[in-house]
Amino acid sequence: MKKALITGVTGQDGSYLAQLLLGKGYEVHGVKRRTSLFNTDRIDHLYVDPHEANRKFILHHGDLTDSSSLIRIIQQVQPDEIYNLAAQSHVAVSFEEPEYTANSDGLGALRILEAIRILGLEKNTRFYQASTSELYGLVQEIPQRETTPFYPRSPYAVAKLYAYWITINYREAYGMYACNGILFNHESPVRGETFVTRKITRALARIKLGLQDCLYLGNLDAKRDWGHAKDYVEMQWLMLQQDQPEDFVIATGVQYSVRDFVNAAAAEIGFNVTWKGEGISERGFDENGNCIVSVDPRYFRPAEVETLLGDASKARDKLGWVPRISFEELVSEMMREDMKSAERDEIVKKHGFNTFNYHE
Amino acid sequence: MKRALITGITGQDGSYLAELLLEKGYEVFGFARQESWYRPNCASHLAGRVRLLFGDLIEGVDIANAVQDAQPDEIYNLASQSRPGESWARAPETLLVNGLAATRLFEAVRHNRPSARVYHASSSEMFGRLSKSRRQDETTSFAPVNPYAAAKVYAHHMASIYRDSYDLHIACGILFNHESERRPLHFLTQKVAYGAACAALGIKNSPHRNERGRPIVEAGKLALGNLAVARDWGYAPDFVRAMWLILQQDQPLDFIIGTGELRTLTELCEVAYQSVGCDWRECVLSDPVLVRPLEPGHVLADASRAREVLGWYPTVSFEEMVARMVSAQMVRLKPLLDSGEIA
Repeated sequence: MKKALITGVTGQDGSYLAQLLLGKGYEVHGVKRRTSLFNTDRIDHLYVDPHEANRKFILHHGDLTDSSSLIRIIQQVQPDEIYNLAAQSHVAVSFEEPEYTANSDGLGALRILEAIRILGLEKNTRFYQASTSELYGLVQEIPQRETTPFYPRSPYAVAKLYAYWITINYREAYGMYACNGILFNHESPVRGETFVTRKITRALARIKLGLQDCLYLGNLDAKRDWGHAKDYVEMQWLMLQQDQPEDFVIATGVQYSVRDFVNAAAAEIGFNVTWKGEGISERGFDENGNCIVSVDPRYFRPAEVETLLGDASKARDKLGWVPRISFEELVSEMMREDMKSAERDEIVKKHGFNTFNYHE
Repeated sequence: MKRALITGITGQDGSYLAELLLEKGYEVFGFARQESWYRPNCASHLAGRVRLLFGDLIEGVDIANAVQDAQPDEIYNLASQSRPGESWARAPETLLVNGLAATRLFEAVRHNRPSARVYHASSSEMFGRLSKSRRQDETTSFAPVNPYAAAKVYAHHMASIYRDSYDLHIACGILFNHESERRPLHFLTQKVAYGAACAALGIKNSPHRNERGRPIVEAGKLALGNLAVARDWGYAPDFVRAMWLILQQDQPLDFIIGTGELRTLTELCEVAYQSVGCDWRECVLSDPVLVRPLEPGHVLADASRAREVLGWYPTVSFEEMVARMVSAQMVRLKPLLDSGEIA
């Protein structure tokens, strides 16, 4: 039985990947940080009580900023595959916490590679590094593929670029099976609530039920290539099953603006948004003339990434990978799930129980 | 009087730059670890003329403190773990010092001294894997092949993000190899100069040891790695002049600094041993242990922008530099020989 270790197992990708690997018969080990609040919502359905025999899903406390914890876990687990999905993954926050971002996203990847080497596992353990389309930043070519030069525009992207290169350096210098998946944006109903897609579907659901008045967004013109996380984690697994380690771009090849996303999500629940004004004065109104979307410059990034569009031909040709879930299906699923949560909150509230608004 | 803060003042570049700035009438502050300052270093002779601010780049508070204390008009960020080969064994530390420390400095400037102009030392190592056919200029993309270079790429991009996002005056010099009499002995060029000096003085077993603990010259032979490697080697005092010029521009702009001449290690040996009338072929051997896990390709500078915008060009030739380095090593070894410390 193969053993996999997933860092970032409590996150969107980690939870989908854990589920995929469990389905393939893996013993799955996850690394989670100690936090003062529970953060295991996304893997609650996979959790197995430690008192049960033959557990296939096991959690370990660890942290990418703590090298001894990583060495200890990798030593104990002796994994066949390591998926490094943990990161401070929020671009805007990386401007506020550049050091922490570098420590976890850049140095964190290096610490795992070093742990593999120190433990003498370089010929046994395969390593997947979650790279990102943010590396392309100020894009040098449209669409972006594996050979497109990088031009990072945030501390997040720069830290991830370090991890990208150090993964390649270790592969070439030590003959490790290590590779980068350069994933374009990928979303799902369990996407973090502060990422723009989830922020939109969650807010629209709450506006629909009268729990909130208005959704504030940054750059409505930003264009992204949005896929479904469930499709993308399959690719992460595929990349580690090849004869030779290689880096791959994973994307849908289709691009939508943030405004497009709002329109699609709103349409799902019967809102028809009318846009008025331009730039920072742009507003979106519902049929009754209520302003439900507004631009707030505080959500602009110090350096914007205007457009990202991926070309995943290499993944299609070499791995036979194609995304199965369309943009429309993605938006529809996210909207449906966030409507459910909002309805649950509404019911709970109506019966006099406490609900949380979870403001950032 | 202008105030300048130099990180890495105890090193080759830091000490030459401090001399240059003192000459130009600057008040010079040096940021250094206490232990590097109190042992003999390249800037020891400047004691009393520069003001030292002690701290460690690994600790973010220290550099913020230094910026606050010095209130500099110009900052030169030269400190680094400066050995690409060694960065394989010290990869995490290399990222902390060469990468994260730059971020901490930029943050300190942003919050405590946004008017300061900042020079950051980038490196030609960032280009890494390249074809022989072309030169590198400011638009060439990076492909680092060691942890040193990957950390330098990190800092270089962070400099650009801080410049663009917060309107700070941060400029990078992408410096190709630059050597001098002050290079430590574990640097390739200095090893060769040292080897040539030993040959000239007839020293068969050198008193100084290499990174493996063996005499640098053993049984009359100097052990080097891959002799075919080629570099664009310039003279450090020329290069620190470029650093200063870069910060005197109205707009912060990155510059390639290099001689534009490619020399192989074999040529370096030839010139060095020839300058003292010896034949390098009798004194140098190539040891596979010293070959790096991954060698960068040939790096060759296209410094047109520096020539056109800064009016910068190198003043000391390769042959002259190598001859100076060999003489300096002879001056160092001669007293040991005369006093009978070397057999």
